[in-house]
Amino acid sequence: MRSHRKYRLALLLGTLILSACASTQKPLSDPDNDPWESFNRGMYKFNTAVDRAVLRPIAKGYDKVTPQPVQKGIGNFLHNLSYPATIINLALQGKFKKSAIGTGRFVLNSTVGLLGFFDVATKADIPDYDEDFGQTLAAWGWDDSRYLMLPFFGPSTLRDGIGRFGNNYIDPISQLARQEDEYRPLIFDVVHTRAGLLSQEQALEEAFDPYIFLRDAWLQSREYDIYDGDPPLPDYEDFLD
Amino acid sequence: MRNLFGLLVCAVWLFGTPLTAQEQSPEEIIQSTAGEVLNILNDQKAYYRDHPEELEHLVNHRLMDLFDLDYAARLVLGRHGRSASAEQINAFGIAMRDLLVRRYSQGLLDFESEDQLQILPLSGKNSDRLTRVRTRVKLGSGGFAPVDYAFRKTDQGWRAFDVSVEGISYITTYRNQIGPQVQQDGIDAVIDGLRSGSVGVDGN
Repeated sequence: MRSHRKYRLALLLGTLILSACASTQKPLSDPDNDPWESFNRGMYKFNTAVDRAVLRPIAKGYDKVTPQPVQKGIGNFLHNLSYPATIINLALQGKFKKSAIGTGRFVLNSTVGLLGFFDVATKADIPDYDEDFGQTLAAWGWDDSRYLMLPFFGPSTLRDGIGRFGNNYIDPISQLARQEDEYRPLIFDVVHTRAGLLSQEQALEEAFDPYIFLRDAWLQSREYDIYDGDPPLPDYEDFLD
Repeated sequence: MRNLFGLLVCAVWLFGTPLTAQEQSPEEIIQSTAGEVLNILNDQKAYYRDHPEELEHLVNHRLMDLFDLDYAARLVLGRHGRSASAEQINAFGIAMRDLLVRRYSQGLLDFESEDQLQILPLSGKNSDRLTRVRTRVKLGSGGFAPVDYAFRKTDQGWRAFDVSVEGISYITTYRNQIGPQVQQDGIDAVIDGLRSGSVGVDGN
């Protein structure tokens, strides 16, 4: 049953990829970082359509019925649940001290913070790191990767798309879906995350070119994460040409 | 009261300009200017809340004085700015500034104290012409927002020209939005659009 579902999905994606490739070629807006722009634009269109039809209405409903403090608690809980991945990736990048601090944060929030619903660690001034397998691959040398719009999951790069496999392997919510066929926590996670983006979508919609706006913001924000908040300055002089 | 206040604004304005012209380091510039403006705002919070135009004036003539608007404008325009006149570049820079100030200056009123602004020590690659000042703005929710300023050395000393919030630079982001619009409609139309609010750089 499960393999059938996967097969059908692969078929669907294959069709989408082919149809996106067949679209007319325009000059690339950023040949260095986005050589797959025409494919990515097709996928962006697809994602937007899925979002409009299904995800956004559900996220809006969720946002409406869930009071802000409850949403915050749920966000804390989900963040804490994903923290083992951060701890492992800190270690994989050789940041052992931070990995230990991260472990302390996870233990504190999971216990005193009641399974992570309360972020007591932040109140205690324990830093909050953010690492994943994509960032680890970057730290290991794959620092430049082409932009890739993933179906359903949205903006990514080739590197971070591959990193997703590692993250999903560790993530307890993905494990439930994979091993137990229990998709409800995953769906809930997606809806919650989408609801958190509702306040930002107006900026995206009104941008002159939403695709480019999202891409540029996402790539910069990713670079910022990879360099732990201290990325190299852009080559501004180059901008004059 | 109002007179006193007007005097204060004038004093800050007059006082502020020569200060920045001195050879201050980029960190000192951020520290002194932001600190001063936040103190003024804290003392007169209610007044500024009721007089958004005064707030914009203060921000424009005190905070935005740090910025090399012409250079920022040229970076955003890129090759589309090469054929533009100096007046057009200047008008474009001011229109962009006004748009940002109109949109974001209200946020300054949420500050409670100067201590909410933390300046991080210099790190990374800095040259004697180009550097970055990294700051953290503490938020009421307990977290913080990282806000970084890019500075370059000019004949008038160090001037800021770019701001990044959470690593997302205004210049890098606007460049790819504005460029195609200038190509499509011409620079004057885009300047008018920025002024009237019909051309957005990030929507809102």
